[in-house]
Formats: sequence, structure tokens, C-alpha cells
Amino acid sequence: MSAQKKKAFQIEAFKHRVVVDPKYAEKTWKILEHAIHEIYNHNASGLSFEELYRNAYNMVLHKFGEKLYSGLVTTMTSHLKEISNSVEAAQGGLFLDELNRKWAEHNKAMQMIRDILMYMDRTFIPNTHKTPVHELGLNLWRDVVIHSYAIQSRLQAILFENVRRERSGEVIDRGLMRSITKMLMDLGPSVYQDDFEKHFLEVSADFYRLESQEFIESCDCGEYLKKAERRLNEEIERVSHYMDARSEVRITNVVEKEMIENHMHRLVQMENSGLVNMIVDEKYEDLGRMYCLFRRVPNGLVLVRDVMTSYIRDTGKQLVTDPERLKDPVDFVQHLLDLKDKYDKIITSAFSNDKTFQNALNSSFEYFINLTSRSPEFISLFVDDKLRKGLRGVTEEDVELVLDKVMMLFRYLQEKDIFEKYYKQHLAKRLLSGKTVSEDAERSLIVKLKTECGYQFTSKLEGMFTDMKTSQDTMQGFHASQDVDIADGPMLSVQVLTTGSWPTQPITTCNLPAEIMGICEKFRNYYLGTHTGRRLSWQTNMGTADLKATFGKGQKHELNVSTYQMCVLMLFNNTDRLSYKEIEQATEIPVSDLKRCLQSLACVKGKNVLRKEPMSKDIADTDTFLFNDKFTSKFFKVKIGTVAAQRESEPENQETRQRVEEDRKPQIEAAIVRIMKARRVLDHNNIVAEVTKQLQSRFLPNPVVIKKRIESLIEREFLERDKVHHLLTLYLFFELEKDNARLDFQLLNSEVSSRQLLYHTRELCYANASISTSSNMIYKVPSFCHSVHIEAVTGVLFRLDAGNREEYCEVVRNSIAVGFVGCRRSLVTAMPFPSSIMQSLEAVKIGTLPESWLKRRFKVGSLES
Amino acid sequence: MPPRASKRKTAPPNSSSVTSSDGRSVFSKTKTKGLGKIDRLFNSYANSSSGEIDPDGIVALCSDLGVDHTDVRILMLAWKLKAAKQGFFTQDEWRTGMKALRVDSLSKLKKVLPELEIEVGKPLNYEDFYAYAFRYCLTEEKQKSLDIESICELLNLVLGAQFRPQVDSLIEYLKVQSDYKVINLDQWKNFLRFVQEISFPDLENYDSSLAWPLILDNFVEWMREKHS
Repeated sequence: MSAQKKKAFQIEAFKHRVVVDPKYAEKTWKILEHAIHEIYNHNASGLSFEELYRNAYNMVLHKFGEKLYSGLVTTMTSHLKEISNSVEAAQGGLFLDELNRKWAEHNKAMQMIRDILMYMDRTFIPNTHKTPVHELGLNLWRDVVIHSYAIQSRLQAILFENVRRERSGEVIDRGLMRSITKMLMDLGPSVYQDDFEKHFLEVSADFYRLESQEFIESCDCGEYLKKAERRLNEEIERVSHYMDARSEVRITNVVEKEMIENHMHRLVQMENSGLVNMIVDEKYEDLGRMYCLFRRVPNGLVLVRDVMTSYIRDTGKQLVTDPERLKDPVDFVQHLLDLKDKYDKIITSAFSNDKTFQNALNSSFEYFINLTSRSPEFISLFVDDKLRKGLRGVTEEDVELVLDKVMMLFRYLQEKDIFEKYYKQHLAKRLLSGKTVSEDAERSLIVKLKTECGYQFTSKLEGMFTDMKTSQDTMQGFHASQDVDIADGPMLSVQVLTTGSWPTQPITTCNLPAEIMGICEKFRNYYLGTHTGRRLSWQTNMGTADLKATFGKGQKHELNVSTYQMCVLMLFNNTDRLSYKEIEQATEIPVSDLKRCLQSLACVKGKNVLRKEPMSKDIADTDTFLFNDKFTSKFFKVKIGTVAAQRESEPENQETRQRVEEDRKPQIEAAIVRIMKARRVLDHNNIVAEVTKQLQSRFLPNPVVIKKRIESLIEREFLERDKVHHLLTLYLFFELEKDNARLDFQLLNSEVSSRQLLYHTRELCYANASISTSSNMIYKVPSFCHSVHIEAVTGVLFRLDAGNREEYCEVVRNSIAVGFVGCRRSLVTAMPFPSSIMQSLEAVKIGTLPESWLKRRFKVGSLES
Repeated sequence: MPPRASKRKTAPPNSSSVTSSDGRSVFSKTKTKGLGKIDRLFNSYANSSSGEIDPDGIVALCSDLGVDHTDVRILMLAWKLKAAKQGFFTQDEWRTGMKALRVDSLSKLKKVLPELEIEVGKPLNYEDFYAYAFRYCLTEEKQKSLDIESICELLNLVLGAQFRPQVDSLIEYLKVQSDYKVINLDQWKNFLRFVQEISFPDLENYDSSLAWPLILDNFVEWMREKHS
């Protein structure tokens, strides 16, 4: 193998000398230089690209790349200098044209030169890290032409002048502008930005600063905004025509800043045309424009919203504190609704339904509606008015619409429990007087309230409807059973009302006329015959009666009066003249009611079926009343209303408020106990916060009241202060199991009276999340407890001895409350109730007995207790 | 011990005691040394028919001790004896109390009173004593609160020496206000916390958003109004 290697044959490259002409480089370059000149002089047609390419190729190959490159730079520079001079020489308007033309030529020339020098571009330039030919051409153009002193400033001036002219409405050559800016962009983003955009923005800012100053002095807000909007659109359009797309944001920012942001406070508050005036005059278009423009600047919308909010609050405050407005509740609420509609429309049509604006609107309404304590009452009165007459003949959809609007106001109320109180009163009057327009509408509103506030809120209201329904059945039954007996008597219609569901009023039974008394007794016997273990009491203050009356000349009228008025009028069947005292004695109607009813019988023109001596507006104890023989009326039916205040008087209002405060106490306590049961230890501020949170769907509890309730619970040993941090933490001291044990113990030792037991049971139920507003809370408690707690309660009751149980049953019999009925079954199965109570718990059967009576007919409302 | 004692209580005093002219029973015979002396002392003040030291007996005891019966030291004595009922000491209370005080004669009791004062003054005891003072004044069955007048006297007696300015202001306020007619134990306890914790009269560190009872919130408000 090694011998073979030694013999190995070597082939050497053939050596032949290449003689390079020392002048070769110089000569070749001359050719190329010449070609470049020719290209710039538009004589390229006579050139041989093949030859030129080869020359350039050879030069690079023979390591003359450097010479070629520097030659190119020098040649191109000198040509560009010429171009620069010729551009400089161009006069006025021709300047841009010339520049543009030269630029196009330069581009073309560069194309060709690059083609010729392709080899250098591909090999020499990358290896030596030099600028490629094309880029070199651009750079040289930039440095030699664009940045030449005479051209640079003149170019900018002319460009800006053109923009200015266009802004002032002249037509300019947009194509040329586009070419020039395109050139600047081709030269690199920094050239475009530094040589054009930067200054352009500055110039524009100056321009708009001046212009906006001028506008704001001379235009009103709407006009100004219109102009600003137009300017903005123009700028956007301009950019799309002859600028880099990226300039749009920058230039619009300038316009926004100069035209809107710098003047926004002045614009919004501009006298006679600012935001407030736009709202007042309902200028939706201007408002929409303001919204769109202000949205573009930081804090713009915040400003608009704040100004709007404070305006709504101010006007709302004026509205609700205006004593004139408070005189007419219906009008007052209608005003609120109109106001809400107006703002809603503004927000939908001008503010593109902006959520933050809607929230601001809501919080403003909530703010001022709660400024007056009368709002809950008035809203209920408004509903009352609508459901009595306002919605008669209105389509179902429209009814829904009105009710929805009312619900919206209701949502703003902080004191929903007060609304409930009034609503109950008004609903009771509507139902009892049969004045409600549509039961569907009534029920629909109750459903809405239920969805808003839950079952508890409406359970009593629903109970009232049930009572009305069962009363009808009862009256039918009554009628069927008695038809022969009382065919000639007055017709009676009774509504049996469950205590607790209806707004309770002190029972003021008056002396009914004998005719009525008779039929009432019959009804009582009938009713108690079918429902043992109940107690009926007549609520004469809530009834109405229709009387057929014959006057002096034989003219007949039907009088629609209240039960009290009926009692008074019936007295005049036997005599023509009665003194006030006699009437008072005979009827025993409470003084204030009697005076009110006499006033409406004797002092109202057109309805004065009685005469009063002496004539005066008010009723005195010494007055005498006579039957008014000369009474005339155009109508056959005469409705004699009681002079009743529609809205509550101040003292009545105070009283209602006090009642509500009383009702709130157990609710607050229950909330505290519920919270403490879950949390065990909590500091004062947190308790207050949680209680407020829990109750805010119904009302806003006062922290001082909460503190009072906590103290009361401490006193009653439900809560305990922390031994060390007596101010910081509170323990729930009370425990159900413990208390049960205590009760059991006491019961076994017969140490506890039934009253104490009731008290304890009630407390027990507090701790188990029951809320109940009425004083006879124990009966409602079970419906809200879990069955296990019902058993706990009943377990306690089981241990009662016979006497105590009887006492307890008596209380139950006297108070059949709504909540109790709810869990009747579980209680009934668990509790050893006597049958009389079981029957009381059954639904009430009701019937009507139609009855005609010779002269007069009556309708008597009643309330069972 | 207790069962024996109770037997003794029922048997000897009634059968073998001599009733003195002023209505106080005196032991005729000596019994077990310590207890005998204590019981003798007890019997010298007790009402023979009820077998307790009644208000008359306490007045007599006070005059023998040379202190006024409204003196706070008598309240302290009652606390030490754990007396359940105002104005009365039962024999049991007396025995356990005297034993705890290591006292079996009037002169020793007199000597021990200043020590008792120091003992009550200890923070832990003081709080207990303070709450005891309130409960001691509850005379009726199921009574849970005291009327303003009694509270003012009690404040004077218990806190007067230590917190004069606070007590004066508080009493003045309690007498002018009309929201509260009675004071309950919780409020009473918080009075003590108040005078101990709150700088007076500037009330700088009082924060009404804490769980102070409302009556103190009102008091502070009243104070601030008065001073502004």
C-alpha cells in the first residue's frame, strides 16, 4: 500500500499568467461612469446592458469593488446636486412639480444603475457591509436634495401652505401632495416624521388653537361642536388622501386636544347653549355630537356625566322639595315619570345607551326621590289613581307599560316598607269600594312587586285578594240559605277580611239602623254557623251604602254614601230635624268621622241632602240638621263622597311613620340575630354594615336604631360583649339548643306561664330567621321556620298543661294570620289543637244574598277580627 | 362543714340563746372556737326572728365600726361577703366572708377594712365589685335596671373618689336628659370602661361608631356641645 502511495501521481494546476492591464480599472470605470451619466441624461437607449453588466462584474471580480462603489457615490452625488439646483430654481407652484418629476427620474435611473451593478449589489456590498445601491440612491436623494438648505424649508412651507389652503376651502392638487408625501415615506419613516409630520402637527395645533379660540368666542356650543366635528372629519379625510395612515391618530389627537379638550369645561358650561341647555331644550343631535366628540378626549365623558348628574339632582331636588308640587301626588309622580322618560330618551338617542350614564341617572333619581319622605306614599297614590280610573279603557300593553314605569320608581325607593304600608291601605280601599279598574292589572303589579321584593312583601296583599274571592262565595251561600226570609229587607254584601292581611284600624263600630242590624245579625248567625270558633266584628268605617231617597216634590234619587252617612240619613226617616248631639248619641260615630260625614252631607253644593243651621262651612257641636226637601240634582245617582284627605295630613303621616318604625324594630333585631348566628363574633361597624345590607331591599336602617336594637338584644341576653375588647366584638350568646333545654326544664318544673312561653317561643323563632312585622308574630313564625324548628316549638307546646293550652288556643283562635295558614299542615299534624281551631283555619266560605227592600238598598262592608 | 353549720344554725340559737333587751340575740355558750366567735359577732347584730342581719343590724354594725352606713367600704364588705340582698347579711354569707377576711371580732374587722379597700382596688376585683354594686341595688324580683337617681348615687359612691370630674359631668347629664329613665347592667358596665379608657374632658379618643352604648354617645355629644 505504502509503495503505491509513493508512486502516486500528482496533477498540478496549469499555470498561466494573466496579464492585467494596469489601466484596466480606470478604463472600465470610465465606461460605467459614462453610462451613469447617460442614464441621468435620458440617453440610456444607446447603452448595452450586457456590456455594462460584464464590466461591473469584472471590476468586482478583480477586486476593484471599492473603486466602483466610491465612483458610484461620487457620480450620483454630483447628479443629485444638479437636480437639487434645478429644483431650487423652480419658481413658486412649479417647485413641487419639478421635485416630483426629478424624483420620478431619479427613481428610474436608480433602477437602471442597480441593474447594471447587480453583481456588486449581490456580492461586494453584503461582504463589505455597505449600503445597497437602491438604498444608497434614496439616502443620497435625502441628503443632497431634500435636506439641502434651500429645499428643505421651502418644501415644508409649500406643503403646509397647501394644507392651509385646503383647510380654508381651496382645492389643491391632492395627487401631487400624495406623491410628495409618498416620496418622504419612501425615504424612510423617520424622514416622513421628522421632515413632515412633526412640523405638520405643530402647524396644525397652532392653526386649531387659533381657530377654536375664534370659534368659541363667536359660536354657541352646538355650532362649535358642529364645526369641530367637521374639522375632525376633514382631517381624517385628508389623511386618507395624501398622508400615511398612521398619521390619522396623531392629527385627530391634535384636533381633539385643541378643539375639545382645551375648551371642554367652557363648552359644557356655556351660557344659554351648554349641556344643561341642550338637555332642557332636548337637542338630541347636539347632545349626540357632544357625546361622540367628548368620548374622544380623556375625562370628556366624565365631565359630561358629572354635569348631567348634578343638573338632574338639582332639578330633581327642586321638584321634590317644591311645596306646590307636593300638593298633588298624582301630578308629582307623573312629573317624575316624565322626567325619567326624558332622560331615558336622551341616553338612548344621544348617549348611545352608555351604561355609565344610565347608572348616573339611576343614582340621581334615587338620590332625590328619597329626599322627601312622601315619595313612597305618593307613588302608591299614583298607582291608586291609575288603577281607579286612569287606566280605564287602556289596552293591556299600555297598562303594563305604566306599571313597569311605576316599578322603576319603586326601585329607587329606600323605604320600600313604607310604600308597602300605603299600598296596602290604598289597595284595601280599592278592593272594598269595588273601584279597581282591572283585577288583572292589580295582580300584575303584585307579581312585579313579588319578583322585586320576594314573597313576604306581597303575601298580605295576596291574602286580601283571597279574602275578596272567598267573601263572594260566602255571600252566595248566605243568599241561597235565606232567600225567603229577607226578600223585603235591604240587600247586604259582606266582605270577610282576615285580620293581619288588611290594614288594621281601631274598630269603631257605630249603631247601625235597626233594619240593617237585623240582616247583619242574620249574616253573623249564618257565618258563625258554618265557621265555628270565629269572631266577627263590623268595620262600619269601611263600608258603603246605596240609598233610594224620595225628596219633597216626589223626585227620586239613588244616593251612594258611606256606611256612616247611611246611618245618619236613616235617622231622618222618622224626623225632619235633629241636633248634632242627637245624631252623635243615636249613631255613636266617632266625632271626627261624624263631622266629616255631616260636612259632606250638608255643606257640599249639589250634594246637600241635609240642611244645616246655622249655615257655615264647619260643623259645630251646637248645629242643627234638617232634611233638605228641596234637594235637586241633574243626576239620578248622586255620589256623596266623604270629605276625605287623599294625601295624608302631617299628623297622620307622623303616625304612619311611627308605626313603620315600630315594625322595623323586629326586622332589624331578626337581621342582627341572623348575622350573629352565622358569624358568632363581629365588631359593631360590621354588624351595622351587614344589617344595612340585609335590609336594604326593604328600607335603609338608621345606624343609631341598629345600635339601639343591639343594646336591647344585649339587655335581653341574646348578645354579649366580648370580655376583653368590649367595644370591638359581640358574641351571640343565645343558642337554640340551650334555650330549648332551659324551656323544657322550666316547663317540667311548672315555672313558666303560658305568656312567658309565648315570649320565649317568639324569641326562639327570632333566632331561626323568621321575620314578622306584626305584634302577634308567633303565629306567623312557623311558616318561615324549618320544619325541625316547628317541631321544637310544638314540642314545647305539648308539655303545656291543659289550662295553658286552652289559653294558647284562645289566642290562636283570635288571630288567624297569613303566615300561619302557610304552614298549617305541618302545624296541624304536629300540634294537639282542638277541633274548633282546626275549623277556623279552613278557608272561609262566602255567599251573597240579593235582597230588595221597599225604599232603600244597602251595601255594608265589614272586617272580621 | 356547711351541713353541720346549718344544723347548728337552726338548733342552738333558737333553743339556747338569750334575747337581749335591744332585740339582738347573744350566744350563751361557747362553741367551736373560730366559728363560735364569728357566730357570736353575727348574732350580736342579727335579728332574732329572721336569723339575718337586717338593715337595723347593719346600721348598728356601722356605728360600732365607726363608719357611715352609706360608706363605700360597707358596700365593699357586702361584696366580700357576697351578700345577695341589699341591706341583709345571712349567717352563711357572714361566716364565709369573715373566714375569708380572717376576722372574728369587731376590732379585727375594723382593722381589716383598709386592707379590703386595697383588695377591691385591684383591677380584676374592681370590675367584679363594680358590677356587683349594680346587682346589689336590684331589690325587686326580675328587676334588671336601676332608676337614674339610684344610678347617680351609686356612681358617686363607687367612682366618685377616683373619677370626680367624669362622675360630676355624667350625673349632670343623666339628670338633664330625658331619653332614659333607667340604666341597665350593660350601660352601667360601660360607664366604668368609659371613665377608665376615655381621656377627659377632651374626649379625644371617643369614637361613637364603636359599640359604646347610645347613652354614652349622647353624653359625649352633650359634652362636646357644652364645650364648643
